[in-house]
Amino acid sequence: MSDENNRPVVISARGLKRHYRRGSETVKALDGVDLDIREGEMVSVLGPSGSGKTTLINLLSCLDAPTEGTLTIAGKSVAGLGEDELVDVRRGTLGFVFQKFHLLPTLTVAENVELPLVFLRRPVDRAATTAVLARVGLEGRSGHLPRELSGGQMQRVAVARALIAKPKVLIADEPTGNLDKANGEQIFDLFRSLVRDEGLTVIVTTHNLQLGYLSDRVVTLEDGRVVKEEKGQALAAAGAAH
Amino acid sequence: MRYLILAMKNLLRRPVRSALTVAGVSLAVAVAVSLSGFNLGYARAIDQSIEKLGFQVMIMSKGCPYEAATMMLKGGTGLLYLPEDIYAKVKSDPDIASITPIFVGIAQKEGSSIRDEDEGNKSFSIVSGIDVESFKVMKPWLSFKTGKGYDGGHWFAQDATKEVVLGYEAAEYEQRKVGDTFYASIVPNGKTEPVMREYKVVGVLDRTGTQDDGTVFMPILPAQEAFGRMGELTIIGIKLKEFSGAKMREFEARWLKLPEVQVVGLQQVKTTLVSLVGTAQTMVAAVAAIAVIVAVIGVINTILMSVYERTGEIGIMKAIGAYRGDIFTLIWYETLAICAAGGIFGCILAVVGSSGVEAAIKALIDLGVSGSIVYITPQVIGYAMLGAIVLGFFAGLYPAWRASSMRPVEAIREGE
Repeated sequence: MSDENNRPVVISARGLKRHYRRGSETVKALDGVDLDIREGEMVSVLGPSGSGKTTLINLLSCLDAPTEGTLTIAGKSVAGLGEDELVDVRRGTLGFVFQKFHLLPTLTVAENVELPLVFLRRPVDRAATTAVLARVGLEGRSGHLPRELSGGQMQRVAVARALIAKPKVLIADEPTGNLDKANGEQIFDLFRSLVRDEGLTVIVTTHNLQLGYLSDRVVTLEDGRVVKEEKGQALAAAGAAH
Repeated sequence: MRYLILAMKNLLRRPVRSALTVAGVSLAVAVAVSLSGFNLGYARAIDQSIEKLGFQVMIMSKGCPYEAATMMLKGGTGLLYLPEDIYAKVKSDPDIASITPIFVGIAQKEGSSIRDEDEGNKSFSIVSGIDVESFKVMKPWLSFKTGKGYDGGHWFAQDATKEVVLGYEAAEYEQRKVGDTFYASIVPNGKTEPVMREYKVVGVLDRTGTQDDGTVFMPILPAQEAFGRMGELTIIGIKLKEFSGAKMREFEARWLKLPEVQVVGLQQVKTTLVSLVGTAQTMVAAVAAIAVIVAVIGVINTILMSVYERTGEIGIMKAIGAYRGDIFTLIWYETLAICAAGGIFGCILAVVGSSGVEAAIKALIDLGVSGSIVYITPQVIGYAMLGAIVLGFFAGLYPAWRASSMRPVEAIREGE
């Protein structure tokens, strides 16, 4: 455990709050969350619907701004940054996978994977694309259109799209929500292997407790607060092995 | 370039919708190009017709100036006559460089060399009685057709009574060559029955692109005699030594004193014709403006729909690293692509359909000129393309702004 605690913190949240108005009512979607995510760990965020999982993920992803609290990503405080400055933080640091795959239907698998490079104004290297697709188990699918793929394959393309820009942290919000059990397990296995083999940091939200506990650490939210933090099976298994 | 390809692929997502929007822009551009082509072509046709008349000023019997103008430029049947002695009086004016008297009469084609298949469809030939020497001075470009059956063509002698020279189209229509006999069915003034007359064709003119092509020329005296209008003229064509507004007004003031006479400057003719057609042009311009507005609304609607359908994707694009400007550019390119495609197809449509437009305009309005009236220049095409792109530039602003202003988290949530 001490080894894990010595790894540098890549994302740090302190007193993170996200409140918003719904009519005359103030909804406390997130109400003071302290959380450190360390390099090379896989963290699952669990909790029932409305517990604040997606709100937390959105804040950690710099897709939304906190009402209160501080958030540091890769050593940079993101408090008070404008939309384009938040894009700068995301670019190259964070990769995203969502429940709906949001692949562009008119682009091939390879073109979808390369899309972030277009926005990052980096040259497209088809060999690198092929390698990323191979990494997610989609060899030979680069020329296919999304409609020619299964749900599990489309989510793998989304993972490849998140990986192409070599982010430090992969953030996945309910990535198995639209997948069956077998495909869901395969996605989690893929995340685990990315953490294990490439030292990627993965933060994933899920309703599925069984999958969630496959991570190194499990953070449980309730009513916008962290109510439990515990080791996942992966870390427990590693500890037992030692 | 990569954004442009991305934009094009996005448009291909809904090909029918995109094609219909492009068609709307094409139609607006085609109308605008055709209208501009007509404006240019009509002014050009008037200029050419006036230039080919050979004179700058006409003296004619009082009547409708528009009718007078069209009669001279294109031919007509509502002829008025003035006494021949006016010619003698005007001839001595010191400002005149050259002057020619012209007698115009209308012969029925029915009963002439060629009989129409449709007996009820009587058509007419314009017969011009001219003074050869002064007429040649006015129109030095007139030349005689050569080749088999046409060689040896020449003007008739002024005292000839049974000789005619045919304009290019008149000869084609009558299928007459040099040496053939030309028959004219003419109703003399004051009579009801036509008299068939025979003339020898002594020459056929080359094509001029003016009403001269359809005219039958003969010396002035036998023309007056055939039509029973001895001592009468239709117009007196005049070229002034110095042609300016001031000189024209002076000349006009001198000769308007004569009773039953009007002095018509050909610039005035042009103004009259242009102003008469101006109302129609304004209406067509209004239609074109409405078409452009409808096209712009169509483009905005299509792109906005496309933006709303792709809300989630736009959110994802922002999440994976697109700046607001990137999304703005992408959506803007889509609008520009639609409008540029509409511009290209619209210009092609206008060029390909210009002969149809010309036929339609000529069928609807008597424009008073012969020759082509739709003239689409590269400049017109260039302006139309520029206009289409400017249209896309403005039509794309709002959808692009809407898309780029979407907050990624909300866009992704809406797209879920």
